[in-house]
Order: sequence, then C-alpha cells, then structure tokens
Amino acid sequence: MHSVRRLRKGFLLVACAFCLISGTASADVRDQARRIHDRLAGVPPSQTVLDTMEQDIINGGQSQAAYESAAYTAMQNSEFYKVTLKNFAAPWTNRDFDVFVPLNDYVATVIGIVRDDDQPGYVPFNELLSADVLYVGAGNLGLPAYSAANNNHYAQMERDDVDLGDPLQLVRDAQTVRNGIPAAGVAGVLTTRAAAEAFFVAGTNRAMFRFTMVNHLCNDMEQMLDTTRAADRIRQDVSRSPGGDSRVYLTNCIGCHSGMDPLAQAYAYHDYDDATGRLVYTPGTVVPKYFNNDTTFQYGFVTPDDSWDNYWRDGPNNRFEWDFGPNTPGGSGSGAASMGRELANSKAFARCQAKKVFRAVCLRDPADANDAAQIESMTVSFRDGGYRLKQVFAESAVYCMGD
Amino acid sequence: MNFLRFPEVIVRPARWAALAGAAVILSGCGGGASTEALPPATPGTQQQTYNGPPPATEDVQNFMVELWTNLQPTGAAACGDCHSQAGGQSPLFARFDDVNSAYAAAGPLTDRDQPALSRLVTKVFNNGAGHNCWLASPQACADIMTTWIENWVGGGATGGRQIILTPPPLNPPGSTKVFPPTPAGPPDFTPIHDLLTQYCSDCHRSDGPILQQQPFFAETDINVAYAAAQSKIDLNNPPDSRFVFRLGVQFHNCWSDCASDSATMLAAIQAYAGLINPEPVDPNLVTSMALTLLEGTVASGGNRFEANQIALYEFKAGQGFTAFDTSGVAPAMDLALSPTGVNWVGGWGIELIDGKAQATTTTSRKLHDLIANLTGEYAIEAWVAPGNVVQEESRIVSYSAGTQARNFHLGQTLYQYDAYNRSGSTDGNGEPFLTTSAADEDLQATLQHVVVNYDPINGRRIYVNGVFTDDVDPVPGDTLVDWDDTFAFVLGNEVSGDRQWQGVIKLVAIHNRTLTDAQIQQNMDAGVGQKFFLLFYVGDLVNLPGSYVMFEVAQFDNYSYLFNAPVFLNLDTSTTISGVPLVGMKIGLNGSVLDVGQAYANLNLTLNDTVGQPLSNMGTVIPLQNGPDVDEFFLTFDQLGQNFGPVTPPTNLTLPPEAAVGPQPDIGLRTFDEINATMSAVTTVPPGEVQSTFDLVRQQLPAVPDAGTFSSAQEIGIAQLAIAYCDALIENDVNRRNQYFPNFTTNFGQIPSTAYAGANRDDLINPLVDRIMGVGLIASQPAFADVVDELGYVAAGGNPARPPNLIDRLIAADDSDSDRTEDIAKAVCSAVLGSGIALVQ
Repeated sequence: MHSVRRLRKGFLLVACAFCLISGTASADVRDQARRIHDRLAGVPPSQTVLDTMEQDIINGGQSQAAYESAAYTAMQNSEFYKVTLKNFAAPWTNRDFDVFVPLNDYVATVIGIVRDDDQPGYVPFNELLSADVLYVGAGNLGLPAYSAANNNHYAQMERDDVDLGDPLQLVRDAQTVRNGIPAAGVAGVLTTRAAAEAFFVAGTNRAMFRFTMVNHLCNDMEQMLDTTRAADRIRQDVSRSPGGDSRVYLTNCIGCHSGMDPLAQAYAYHDYDDATGRLVYTPGTVVPKYFNNDTTFQYGFVTPDDSWDNYWRDGPNNRFEWDFGPNTPGGSGSGAASMGRELANSKAFARCQAKKVFRAVCLRDPADANDAAQIESMTVSFRDGGYRLKQVFAESAVYCMGD
Repeated sequence: MNFLRFPEVIVRPARWAALAGAAVILSGCGGGASTEALPPATPGTQQQTYNGPPPATEDVQNFMVELWTNLQPTGAAACGDCHSQAGGQSPLFARFDDVNSAYAAAGPLTDRDQPALSRLVTKVFNNGAGHNCWLASPQACADIMTTWIENWVGGGATGGRQIILTPPPLNPPGSTKVFPPTPAGPPDFTPIHDLLTQYCSDCHRSDGPILQQQPFFAETDINVAYAAAQSKIDLNNPPDSRFVFRLGVQFHNCWSDCASDSATMLAAIQAYAGLINPEPVDPNLVTSMALTLLEGTVASGGNRFEANQIALYEFKAGQGFTAFDTSGVAPAMDLALSPTGVNWVGGWGIELIDGKAQATTTTSRKLHDLIANLTGEYAIEAWVAPGNVVQEESRIVSYSAGTQARNFHLGQTLYQYDAYNRSGSTDGNGEPFLTTSAADEDLQATLQHVVVNYDPINGRRIYVNGVFTDDVDPVPGDTLVDWDDTFAFVLGNEVSGDRQWQGVIKLVAIHNRTLTDAQIQQNMDAGVGQKFFLLFYVGDLVNLPGSYVMFEVAQFDNYSYLFNAPVFLNLDTSTTISGVPLVGMKIGLNGSVLDVGQAYANLNLTLNDTVGQPLSNMGTVIPLQNGPDVDEFFLTFDQLGQNFGPVTPPTNLTLPPEAAVGPQPDIGLRTFDEINATMSAVTTVPPGEVQSTFDLVRQQLPAVPDAGTFSSAQEIGIAQLAIAYCDALIENDVNRRNQYFPNFTTNFGQIPSTAYAGANRDDLINPLVDRIMGVGLIASQPAFADVVDELGYVAAGGNPARPPNLIDRLIAADDSDSDRTEDIAKAVCSAVLGSGIALVQ
C-alpha cells in the first residue's frame, strides 16, 4: 500500500535528480531507427521492433526505400494512431486549435483514412473534404451507440483506450448511412458532427471556410487578401462603411470577402442545431444565417442557392495552383463536396499536408532551402503517390532521422 | 404608350420634352411632395390679422396655412416685407390683403411636380448666394421653402416627385497616371523601395525574419517589390495610397511616430507620382462617356413619411457651425455645432468625435409643446453610423438637462440601443430604460436606420433598419405631463458634455406621432443622403442614339461613392433594341479603371429593352478620389454590342517555395499524450493505473513539441506523472515488478544499505536504463555510463565539490526499513523516467 506521503517523498527525492543527466554522442543506424520510431509513434520502440528496423535498414543497404520501410514498421505501433495522428488532427476540430479536445468523429475519420491508405479502395487524402466517409468504433467494443447528436461514442473510445490502429476496432462507414444526410450534403470531415459543432454553429458559415483554409491550406484570410476581385458576391451583412469609414472596407474587408463569400456559398444548406446537437442539411433552402443582418448593406448579394465560384483562381491567389490535383471541379460548382474538392486539389492543400506532417515529425518548421525543397518534393510525391499521407509521414521521418 | 421601368420607381412617359430635349420624367424615387396629411398647426408663429376675402378653394386654404403664413412680414421668411401690396415688389405672392390674389401670384413661382425646382426655392437659394434668406445658410432656406411648398401641394399630390432625366454633356473620359513598366522608370522607384525595405522587410518579404506576409513589396529584389507595391500606391491621388493609409490611419507597424511615418511615405509617393505625366485612357478600352456626380440628375429626398415631423436635420450645409432644422415647423430648432470635434461629412451628415450639436432651450421647447402638451407620443428617427461598438452610456439624440434629468434620449451601450423616456411610470431620468438585447447585437458600427416610438399604450419600441427589435418596455406607457420644458435638444453628447457618442449622423427627425411599421419601412426604404441618377452614354456602342446605362449614385461617406441599381434605357422610349450583348461592366474613375469594388465585372446579359432594363440588383462602393465636385466617372465593357475590350490573359502563378524561418532545434519535446504513452511503454504500467494523475497534469504537460516552449511548470507535471508510474511499477503488482527487476526481487525486503550494497544497485538501475534509454543507442542522449554513475556510483568530491550519487544520498538520509528501499527505487526510477531522456525526442 503506497501512501500520499510516500508519493510526495518520492517526488522530492527525484526533483533534484532530473538535471543530472547530460551529454551526447554520435548517431548510427540504430539511433536513426530509434528516432524514426520516436517521431512517428511518439514512444520508444521495443527492443524487438528496434532490432527489426535496424536490421531492415542495413539489409536494404541504407537506401531511401529501406529507411521508409522501417518507417512503415514504426507506423504499425498503435500509438501512431492513438497519439500522433489523434493529436495531429485534434486542433483542426475546434476554433481554439486546442489539442486537448476529446476524440471525435472528425479526428477518428482522419485517423482511419490515413491508416487505411495502403488498402484497396482507400480514400485518397485529397477527398478529405468531400468523401462520404466516417470511421466509427466496432460494434463489439461495448461502446455507446454512434449518434449524430452527441460525441459519447468517441469519448468512450478514448477512455477505453481503443486501438485506433486496429481495423477491427475502428471501422470504416459512411455518413449517408450513419447520419441520414443525402450524398449531396456530405463533404468529408467538414460534415462530421465535430466540424459542424465547431464551425457551422451560429454565425454565417464563413467560419467553416476560414478554418478549413487555415487547417488544410495553411493560409488564413489575411494571406488571401486581394482587393481586386469582383465584389458582386459579398453578402448584405458586410458593412461597406464600418464605423462610417469605407476605407476600411475598400482596403481590408473586400480583400477577403470578395473571394470568401462566393466560396462559402457552398455551405448555404448547412447549419448546426445547437439544441439537438447535430448537423442540419436543408437541400434547396438557404439557411437563415445567410440573411443575417441583411439590412447592413441592402444592396449586397442575396444568396439564392449553394452554388459557388472560386474568384481566387485569378489574381495573386492563382499561386495556389488550383488544378494541381487530378479531380478538380474547375473553379465552380454546387454544394460543399465539390467546393471541398476545389480546395483539396490545390497545390496549397497538398503542400499544407506536407508541411504539417513535416512539423509533426521533425518537430520544427522548415529552416532552410533544403527543408523547403524537401517539402516541395513530398508535396509532389504525395499527389503522384495517390494522396497517401503515411507516405508523407515516412518521408518526413527519414528526412529528419539525423545523420 | 411606353413606360420606363425602374426598381422601386414609378415611371411616367416623357413629358416636357420640348423643354429638355430628349428628357424623361421619373416619378417616385426621391419624392418630395410626400406628406400624406397636414402637419399640426405651427405654434409660436405670430399670426398677422387677415381681413381679406376667405380662401376660395381648399387648395388656397392649404396654400394659406402651409406657405402664405410663413411668407407674411410676421412669418419666418417675411417675404411680405417686399412682395406684398405694402412692399410693392412684384410678384405679390405674399400680399396680405387678398390671399386668393397671393395664391394666383404664387402659382407661376411654384413647381407642383418638383417643389425643389420652384422659383420660390431657387430664388431664395440664388445659386448659393441667397436672396433675403432669413437663415445663415441659403441651402437651409431653400430646404424650408421646399418643405412649405410640399406641405401645401402634398394633399393634392397623386404620387411621388417626378424626376426629369436630362441628357448630360457628352465628355470622353479624361487622362490618368500609370506606372512605368519597370522600377528603373523614369521615375526611379528606388526611394520608395528604400523605405519599404528599411521598415517593412521584417514581414513583407519572402524571407522575412518575423513573418513572411504577402504581398512582398519589401522584397530585396526591386522588380518583385515593384510589382507588389503598385496596388498599394495611388498615383493619381497619393494620400489615398494604402501605404499612407495603413501608417497614418491604421497605425500599422509604424517605425517611429505614425503621423510622421505616414507623411514620409506620402512625400516619397508624391515625389514619385509627380514625375509621371497623365496618360489618356487606354484607347483599346470600350468606354462610355464620362460625367461627374453633379452632372447627374438629383434624386434625393426620398419618399419619406413626414406628416407629423416637427424637427428635421439633413445636414446639407456642409460647412459652418450650424445644423439647420428644416422641418418648416417653427421655431426652427437649429443646432450649434461644437467648434472642434464635430466634422461635416460628404454626402450630408456630421461626424461626432469629441463634441456635440445642441439647440437652445428656447427652441427646444418646441418638442415639449408639440409632444407633451399636444400629442403625448412621439418618434425619434435617425440615420446613424456608430463609430465603434465599445462606447457605453453615450448619447446619440437627447432632450435633457444632464446625466440625471431628461425627457428622452436615444443612446448606445456597446451593441445596444438605449431608449430613455420620462413619463408617469419612470423617474426624472427616464428610468427604467429600454435597451435592445445584448445577444442580438442590434447596433452595429455601420449606417443604420433607427426609430424609437413612444406612446402611452405601447411604451417604448425600438426599430433598427425597419425591423422591430422585439425588446419590450420594462414599464407600461404613461403620460408625458412631467416633461420639463427647460431642457435642451442635443446630438452626440449629453448637454453636460460627459456622455460623448462617436459616430456619424446623417439624418435626425422628430415626429410628434409614432410612426407605424409601414411608415418606418417607408422612411427606411427612402434612404438618406444626397443621391443622383448618372446617365452614362453608350448610344455609339449599341448603335442606338439616346441609349444610356443609368446608375443611382450617392456619396456614401467621406471616402467613397455608392453605385447602385444599374439600368439600361433610351430616353426616346419609342426606340427598340434586341439581342445586344453586354459583358463585364466596370466602373472607371478619373481616367483609370478601378481595381477595387467592381461588382458588375461578371455581368453577362443581353439588352432587349430600352425602357429600363435592370442590369443588376447589386450596389457597390468605390473609393472617392478628388471629391464629388471633380471626380469623373465612366464605364468600360469587356463587350458591348460588337465592341470588344482588351482581353486580359489569366494569371499563371506558382506557389512560391515554402518560406524558411532560419535555424531551428533538431530535437523537440514529447507532448502530453506521447509522454504518457512513453512512460507506460517503458515501465510496462498500463495508462489506466495512473489515469487520475494523468488527468490532473494533462494540460500542464507540453502541448506542442517546440523545445523553446518548455517551462518549469511542465517539468513539475512530468515529475508528478513519472512518480505515479514508478510508484505503480514498484507498488501495484509484485509479479510485474519482479519481471521488471528480476535480480533485485529479494532486495526489496531489505533495508536500503543492504539492498543497495555493492553491485546490487546494478540490478535496479540497469533494467530502468535499458528500457527507458534503449539498448545500443548513443545519439542525442547522455552516455549510459554517465547515467548509471549519477544514479548509483559517483562519489562526492572534486573541485568544485559535488555530492555523491543519488542512491547514496538517499541512504544517508534514511536507512531505517525496507519501505525506504522501495522509496529509493521509485526515486531512481523517477529520476530516469522524468528526465530529459524520456522527455526529449
């Protein structure tokens, strides 16, 4: 029986000892393998796994392929899914970029998509914002039943330490099946309950667009600022003279709203019902929030439907290389899914994933031209390899494994 | 019969064509003869005894009450001093011996369709010079005369005011300044580039050390910077350059004093722009003819409901220190503007910064007399643009004596409108007061139409932009007999000067009846401020003379114009047009096509109607450059008819390389879940056994892997978690402990000095080090021997002196029993587990 007293005593004993250990030495293959595992799984490997990785690298002639193969071995550790990927995706699911949020359907779906990207019929990551996909806990785990109206199912998965890397425990499903939303209303992780609760709640649905840009194209609205786009789709709720000074509108507001509003129109049929705690989809009927404050500038745009246009395909934001991916809708369409494809097939999207993975694995931002070239390389190979994110993790881990 | 069709406008066929050539008369929008009932009798006006014949008709009676009385020698205008049988100055429209004769004389001087164009009005205005104007402002005299005429003819009016569209002069667009093709010029861009690279390059550079913020106008490469900077420089109007605005107005990263920094930037831009000669409009553009705002047709006034209006401020004067009450209801409750802190706003209005506009207590008594003594109800109506949403308890419109005594006020508290009213149910300060819901955020820092209604039945009701806010008066309505007639009417502050409101007021009206929902909506729809119809001639482009694109244009605020409701029409309504394409319409200003605010650039339609084909229901705001008197507008088209503008090839940019931020640490921290999982993995203790401790310290552990974010508080959390894991390892499961420390099992039952004697301590230390540090690893962590020595072998001594190893120190402190052996084992375990070895990856 241990006591609080003894715990405290132990704490005091150890407090002075943390600073005792110092000093380094040079690395070798085993150290590289250890770092690859550490960075990917977040935990040290077992001796057996480390031995295997080391041997595979040596047997492979320390080639890039051999190192990447070792990285894939590391990614078999369940902690890669339960820890690394969970915390990789968690900040995308709330407005505060908080990593301490409970597991939710958004995060679980990202984990599942990444986990299964070497399986037949996988969901390419450039369909993250459009696919009809949802990952849920297996029925035999004794979890609360999945509900589109609460997060109990996923919170319990986390409490039960369910192995998210096990296809028998985290299983693929479809939102159209689980949530009863027609296919036209499904847009990948953007129509998960967690995303709806965070970004479709209240407001004007611009939050969903803005946070998607931040989380998946690594650009906030300030970076998108372009005052030269046509202003014909800016809604009525945007003041053209904030505080009686239209210069603010003409030099700031218009720079984002001219491009954002015609894109965010794609969410015109989506809302989140705070009372029922679930996503609402109203095909054919624009949700009322699109007409909030419609007298602020009564001559502004009145949203008729969920058709969208990407005005940023021209002007300085053309640099996003919108046609980088294979299945871009070409700059216009209807509904959230096609707009999600517009975003996810840009080069900015692919590079953003590469950059986020680089940061998660290398634990730093790109520091120099070599790092920038590595991100560029991973961006291209991400697309060319079929948008498999595990490949990006592997390449990043090898790049940052040390000399 | 052809009729023009316009949004919200009743249109009549052309009349007066002989007067105005190809002129068309619009009706409705901007109606002047708008009153729908006679206003209340005007008190306080000294009536002259009239002994002449009675009014022959009802119209003469209206003339007598609404206009003639005010023209008498004892009336406000006192025209009768001269234009009467006594004065002898013809025409005798103010004669007081025979109202019927005066009526006959006034007829030719009156335009019943457009009262503002009456000779009586234009004469008293006299092109701004005034003709025996009884006020300081000829404009105010003209407005009041207009109001009297409107009140006279209003009862017989069949609709809104008619507006004659007169063809403007056909002037081609003027010239403008454009950037030279290269930064080398001439003129040389280097001086501006030097400023940008010196003061903006920490961020606006692709390799900026702080940020890499687009656009990269501070790039070292002057060609890159030049391309990025052009949209931030206004060659034709340097003070409007965004570089100048950001420093001088938005105080954006000034390098010293924002005012002087802005001036420095402005001087550099002015010097640069001064060396560039204006160039004519690109001849390849398909352009309309050009015109200024004042060459348009006035469409102002709005079809307002003003039947019970007893005070009106439209702020048309634009200069001086008086805002005139142009309601026509005496006494005129003119407002004295503070000498400083109150500015006139273009397009009619005042901006209150640190001042107020206040009437005298004598004239303010009008409100008391016409409301409290007469009707017992009222409506405050205002068009306001609050300057911010952080001001509290500020006064927008007030009739009061100080912060604790009032008859009414409309005020602002954050996002809420406040309505105070003194009645039999409130105290002398009008409390309890009504305020709009904070959650609804009805008040926004933008131009809004606000109405406060008060009557004894419904109490106070607030309407914002024509919509009732649903906020219920906390007290029932009551009489206004307690109103004090010594209070003063004031805008923008309390009369005591200590409740400043900041913002723009474009119109204030006081009515001595409440406004119905429909009347509120009518006044909301009428809009506010000075408006014009601008006719852009495109007859040559569509091969149909007399064809125009017409916009409704207003000066929106001091910095912009509002273009709204474009319509294609031909002034000769007998013409026809069919199948003429119109693609991509843009607004040009002072010779160049604007980069910003183009809301019609995506138009793609076919012209089939000459009698008013709407082109868009959108409005847009474009920047003001040189002022409404001189700014010249024109339109361009990508295609109009068979005329094609230049095709701009689409940009084809690529994503620039990922910005490099400089040297970064090669190592990082494990984050909270990683630490937990790591400790579990290396101790073999399942996380569930320490769940409570982990939940306790979870958010204290590192959330991000950046080594630079590590703090001592995180170390405390890590230590707590390490101790919990080691405690569980040593205490919770003997079999697991024995598997972990297979050669130390019997020592746990000994006192410390026995248990850790000699090499025994290897049996405790080595399993820990092997599992936590990993076997055969040397990089990025301490040497194994060093760790083992620190834990169990290094002796005291040396220079400088150091204590002995951890185990020896702990034995020396207490060697009493076997529990102490377990404590020491936990300490050794925790020292390794909670150290940088486990934390750093």
